[in-house]
Amino acid sequence: MSEEKKTIDPQPKAASAGEIGLESLPVTTYWSDVFRRFCKNKIAVVGFVMLLIIVILCAGAPLFTKYDPVLDMDLANLLQPPGTEGHILGTDDLGRDIWCRLLYGGRTSVLTGLIVALVTAVVGVGIGLISGYFGGVVETLLMRFTDIMLSFPFLIVAIAIMAALGSSQRNIILALAIVGWPRFARLTRGQVLAVKQSEYVESARVAGFGNLRIILNHILPNCMGPIIIQATLAVGGAILSAASLTYLGLGADAAAPDWGIMLSQGRNYLQLAPYLTTIPGIAISVTVLAMNWIGDGLRDAFDPKMRK
Amino acid sequence: MWTYILRRLLQAIPTLLVISFLIFSLLYITPGDPVELILGTEDGTVTEEQRAVVEEQWGLDKPFLIRYANFVLDACKGDLGTSYATNQDVFESIMVRMPSTLKLAGFSMLLALLISVPLGILAALKHNSVWDSLATALATIGVSLPKFWFGLVLMIVFALKLGWLPSTGSADLSQGLGTFLKYIIMPASSLALGMAATQTRMIRSSMLDVLNQDYVRYARSKGLRERVVIWGHALKNAMIPVITVIGGEIGGLLGGAVVTESIFSWPGVGRLAMNSISKRDYPMIQGITLTLCISYLLVNLLIDIVYAWVDPRIRLDRK
Repeated sequence: MSEEKKTIDPQPKAASAGEIGLESLPVTTYWSDVFRRFCKNKIAVVGFVMLLIIVILCAGAPLFTKYDPVLDMDLANLLQPPGTEGHILGTDDLGRDIWCRLLYGGRTSVLTGLIVALVTAVVGVGIGLISGYFGGVVETLLMRFTDIMLSFPFLIVAIAIMAALGSSQRNIILALAIVGWPRFARLTRGQVLAVKQSEYVESARVAGFGNLRIILNHILPNCMGPIIIQATLAVGGAILSAASLTYLGLGADAAAPDWGIMLSQGRNYLQLAPYLTTIPGIAISVTVLAMNWIGDGLRDAFDPKMRK
Repeated sequence: MWTYILRRLLQAIPTLLVISFLIFSLLYITPGDPVELILGTEDGTVTEEQRAVVEEQWGLDKPFLIRYANFVLDACKGDLGTSYATNQDVFESIMVRMPSTLKLAGFSMLLALLISVPLGILAALKHNSVWDSLATALATIGVSLPKFWFGLVLMIVFALKLGWLPSTGSADLSQGLGTFLKYIIMPASSLALGMAATQTRMIRSSMLDVLNQDYVRYARSKGLRERVVIWGHALKNAMIPVITVIGGEIGGLLGGAVVTESIFSWPGVGRLAMNSISKRDYPMIQGITLTLCISYLLVNLLIDIVYAWVDPRIRLDRK
């Protein structure tokens, strides 16, 4: 069985090079090729390093600040501008350290973006795989529904969902997942339709493999490129949408550190303390920019023909 | 062409039924007692008699599907119900504010095109030059900024620090072009930013494609002036895919309008939506969502028609 699988594998792995006595040749798999092209793209690498720094700072927040984002209120130093002693980025209207809230807030924002992208990808890819692979009535129904979901302004629908479900971080994730999956479904279905016809899928079917095995082992890996790109861009998009919803007052409770909440609280001090608004906005922009650069880099890496 | 338009309109019906059902059931399952919201008493002092009267009057005593059917039938007649909070007709309230939103959206679109068309063409013509990198970089940054934050930054700089522009409110064209522009330029810029960025990228790559086509090479080789080649031959064809992108962006424009209108106190539908959400005025939220979705569908239909008109190769009737 394993022997058979190797011969029909679409992207011969390193092992097959060895088996036929070509140990001396450099081993290039599809993925290492993608990785190599990604690393050559300076902007993409810069984006990746930026994201890495942001993730380290936010995940290790307690290491980089001595304050608590909610409880520590320096009442003698309210609304201090950046550069104040003890508060590198200043303090907000309750005397809380902005640098500290920025680090802890990043946890919520980045995590929300990641979870939304993951959930939408899993649901959308699942639906796309099923409808693309099985076709027929299943495909017609699922794709018709996907098209309907795609034909609405998504932020409007997300706002309506939030209005119904009530304000909370969990509901933001839910609302953005409900409006986000159709794009993945459409993309995946298109990929599956292209891959389904290939000979290795045909031979897997002839070999008597079950549907699930064919889908997961033979079809999905060959659709991954565009899905990964879309997912990367979806993280940035979700961070932006979540910030909009939170800014509108539909997000987590007001005390929690979150970039969107920091922005909406800064609104009352635009004149007096504009940095309350500018700082979290810059944090969001830099994070999303990093994600977009990575996404663009991946696009070029997966599809060399598309390169500029 | 007319059969195509008719068919597209008929196709929109199931779509509308699904979305209206989703919106209706979503707000139906929402926790909260509509009777208390209508009476404005949330302390549990509503008597059984009051409840019965209100439920009968607002049709709240009927089963779910009947209520949904009534909602759809009424909506076909242009009746979206009555606001819980203000007792006003929902459709009328929306229509009063719609012109403001359309004005803002239209102006933003214009602004985005004014930025993206020259920038995209420049980037394509000077492919791989400093201009190209600059346009691409600006486009990436443009899609990465939160639009509403960009609006807030504009407000801080131009209204609060420099005092050049009014920070909130709106003006009509009848009050003079200068006044109109003063009020609309900041909200419109904040909405236009993301669109301009996406369009610049699109126009650049579409223009690059077209410039490599044989007919452009031919036009050049027969000695036509560069200006004629670009404006007469290339641009027209390069704009075709851009039209489709614009259609998709109308949705983002409508969603963005909700946030932007809240920031700049722009008296449009978006601000009405936010006010209704805070008052839990469900008929109003329902009506606004449905109206915006219908507008989006209609605009996209319109764009598909324009698409066919610009590009005669697309024969819609035969599909």
